[in-house]
Amino acid sequence: MNQLLDENIQNQVRQALSPMEEPVHVLFFGSQNDCEYCDDTRQLLEEVTSLSDKLSLGIHDIDSDADLARQFGVDKTPGIVLAGKEGDVITDYGIRFAGIPAGHEFGSLIQGLLLISSRNSGLSQATKEQIKLIQKPVLLQVFATPT
Amino acid sequence: MLAHKMAMENPLIQAEAIDAVEFPELSRKHNVSGVPQTTINDGAGHVVGAVPETNLLAAILQSVK
Repeated sequence: MNQLLDENIQNQVRQALSPMEEPVHVLFFGSQNDCEYCDDTRQLLEEVTSLSDKLSLGIHDIDSDADLARQFGVDKTPGIVLAGKEGDVITDYGIRFAGIPAGHEFGSLIQGLLLISSRNSGLSQATKEQIKLIQKPVLLQVFATPT
Repeated sequence: MLAHKMAMENPLIQAEAIDAVEFPELSRKHNVSGVPQTTINDGAGHVVGAVPETNLLAAILQSVK
């Protein structure tokens, strides 16, 4: 199969991921039914996660791994979860993608990996304090286009 | 992305980056015209465009009041 990331891009991504500190685990959720971008998304994640030894990838199916999908709040395919990893313990930070992270979203994917790897949101202290006070569930859905 | 950073700070917050092209029904439901658009709690709030963290925070706080 052809590579999605050519050698030039691979080098750029490797460079971008070089400041990674802590390990990050990526969960991919695909589907056998009507999922046009699942194969490409899976391949893209396989290629990206091979570019840093701090990255690992789990391949899952939204139907046969329904409990896991529910646990991580995944209800669309292709679905991606970026999580922390301490030894065998996976930490969910509620950070997901729905759809192939190509184009502009590819940058968001790389940023997300770096974000979790740093274990620090980088938000201002004032914002952090206000966010921590929220006691109701919040779902933020950020619509973007790949171009 | 800002929403992902917010999610990191509170386990009750989840942030999902959605490809509007692949999920047209959901995009239509939330009247996505300009991107990025952030929809809070299935329509309780909307933020259009890339905004500073204080703006998104204010919209979130308003939505969970």
